[in-house]
Amino acid sequence: MEAVKNAAAAQPIIQTRNVKKTYRVGSVDIQALRGVDLSIMPGEMVSIIGPSGSGKSTLLNVLAGLEHVTSGEIVIAGKRLDKMNQSELIVFRQKHVGFIFQSFNLMPYYTAVENVAFPLSFRGMPRKRREALAVEALKVMGLGKHLKHKPSQMSGGQQQRVGIARALVTNPDIVFADEPTGNLDSNTSDDVMRTICEVMRSRNKTLVMVTHDPNMAMYADKIIKILDGRVVDIQLNEHPTYLTPRPKRAIGDELEEQSEQAENKKDNKQGDTQR
Amino acid sequence: MKFPDMLRTAFLNLWRRKLRAFLTVLGMVIGTSSIVVMVSLGVGMRQSMIESYASMGSLTNITVNNYRYVETADGGGTFKDVKLDNKAVDKIRKLPGVEGAMPQITAWGMAMSGKYATDVSIMGIDMEQAELFGIKLEDGEYPGNKLAGGKVQMLLPYDFYNNFYDPNANRWSPAIDKDGNPKITSRSRLKLTFDYSNVYTNQPGDPGQQKGKIYTLVPTGRLAQGGNDFSWYCIMDIKVLEKLAKENPNRISLNKKNYNQVIVKCKEIDDVLTIKAQIEEMGFGASCIQEWLKQSEEQLKQTQYLLGAIGGVSLLVAAIGIMNTMMMSIYERTKEIGIIKVLGCRMSNIAGMFLTEAAYIGFFGGVLGLGLSYGLSLVLNNFLESSGFKSIIPLYLAVGALAFSVVVALISGLYPAMRAMKLSPLAAIRNE
Repeated sequence: MEAVKNAAAAQPIIQTRNVKKTYRVGSVDIQALRGVDLSIMPGEMVSIIGPSGSGKSTLLNVLAGLEHVTSGEIVIAGKRLDKMNQSELIVFRQKHVGFIFQSFNLMPYYTAVENVAFPLSFRGMPRKRREALAVEALKVMGLGKHLKHKPSQMSGGQQQRVGIARALVTNPDIVFADEPTGNLDSNTSDDVMRTICEVMRSRNKTLVMVTHDPNMAMYADKIIKILDGRVVDIQLNEHPTYLTPRPKRAIGDELEEQSEQAENKKDNKQGDTQR
Repeated sequence: MKFPDMLRTAFLNLWRRKLRAFLTVLGMVIGTSSIVVMVSLGVGMRQSMIESYASMGSLTNITVNNYRYVETADGGGTFKDVKLDNKAVDKIRKLPGVEGAMPQITAWGMAMSGKYATDVSIMGIDMEQAELFGIKLEDGEYPGNKLAGGKVQMLLPYDFYNNFYDPNANRWSPAIDKDGNPKITSRSRLKLTFDYSNVYTNQPGDPGQQKGKIYTLVPTGRLAQGGNDFSWYCIMDIKVLEKLAKENPNRISLNKKNYNQVIVKCKEIDDVLTIKAQIEEMGFGASCIQEWLKQSEEQLKQTQYLLGAIGGVSLLVAAIGIMNTMMMSIYERTKEIGIIKVLGCRMSNIAGMFLTEAAYIGFFGGVLGLGLSYGLSLVLNNFLESSGFKSIIPLYLAVGALAFSVVVALISGLYPAMRAMKLSPLAAIRNE
């Protein structure tokens, strides 16, 4: 909890005051957020948990500047998000925000390296430099052997690692993750969550993650529960899962490693034949 | 986003949907080539028109007359004499853009060979200027400037030998044999005189006057057929003509104080009308082929516009095709556009990417369309050769058509690009 204590002295990186969001569906107003007050410190890893329809995704969208609020204030990195127009929000995202999607959202026709390098191209970085950075980021994710693979040639876990590399390659202050393990099986989910948390912590990034799965929420330092568009509980998690040793599974780690290797081999082969 | 990245990304996006991109490009190919071929026919028409005018005389020449047309108070007009002397010629020569000015000194005489004769119009010119004024030879060489031993060197018109006849016969009897070939040929001995009584035996001539001298005519060559204002003249050196005038005082009058006509040669074809206006300002009457050409061009322009409009219709259809393709591709790529917005792609980059895609379609369509046009133009020229029509694709048309098809594509890409900009980044989050 060192990071949290250090951060306590600093300004919060994310702060919201009475954030409300109302959707209009036909002639009916649906209140997705009914006044959310939050403050998240730099370097904190926060999970937002709630059942579907609770407004947790809306909160994430609003914090990441993908949607405008109906009322209230959002201050991120000292900037008023609620006052920005769309192009200002895009520039803001370029500078401060990384995003991890549930369905990975990789470009299917790009290789892993090209996918990771893609957001850097929007910053006008020359191709050689951005691909070097992308290769580095992919190696950190343990995907050194899959640099030239297209998403269709990779497993779900591998694809999500590419997604994580893409979110981090721009060196953002905050990473938002929208159900990052929603499309993965539980073993892979565990791996991916550990990877995310370890990388975030080692780089001292702020992570805001949305999930409906309490197990996944336990990876974070702080758990925010949302229900019906309101924050109902904020818990500090003394023992984030990623700090605990990997649980022994019914099938031994050894066996899993083997299967992982086998999968890698298969992928490589597949990749070769496809090219 | 850097421009090369934009080009690359846009190209990949098109490449991903090869068939559709190809079909859209095909539409553009047809549009571009139809416009180019139509306009090329118009250009061909104009070219043949200019050529037909050019065969009437040089397009860079202006004819200056010693009279001009003046409008009178009653709304009509009358011709007024002006003095066109050496001083005036010098003044015209000094106008900017004028390459030379040549007074036309002309005389009339008769060429004889045996019992046959023909009338000749003789023009004396400065031989150094002959080439400048487009006096081209069919064969032979330019005549010299000496009049020695009664021998007169001169250039003959192209069809000189066809025009001989028997002046003293009771009825018209041309010097042509049974087979239709002229009896007088280049091998015949020719004579030249300025006294008609030497030719017409029934004309006694002026009793108070000496008989005119008979010279030996030495042809040095023949003028090329057509293509200039002089092809029907016999041409000799001006000095020779002056000497002849001295020897035939009452039969040749060379009035150097007032020339009938001065031919002015301009350096550039574009300057001709300005120079003509300047000469008219000096008070002389002037005319040039360019003037008529301009009028015909005005009329031709309407035909050209019509041809262009016909071609333009298929380009319009192609433009709508581009718009349709781009709109479809935006609907398909809603999620992708959302993702790249979340990843920090700027609005201008998104618009730029779609516009670049459209520009690619326009560019490839334009390039292939030009290729097709050159092919069609070749085929058309083969088929239309006899009909007088021809298709010409000048460089400006090729470059212009390419630029135009890119611009048209960009315009049709504008609305789709704006739609793409407006799409919500939330599309990236939705899981369908």
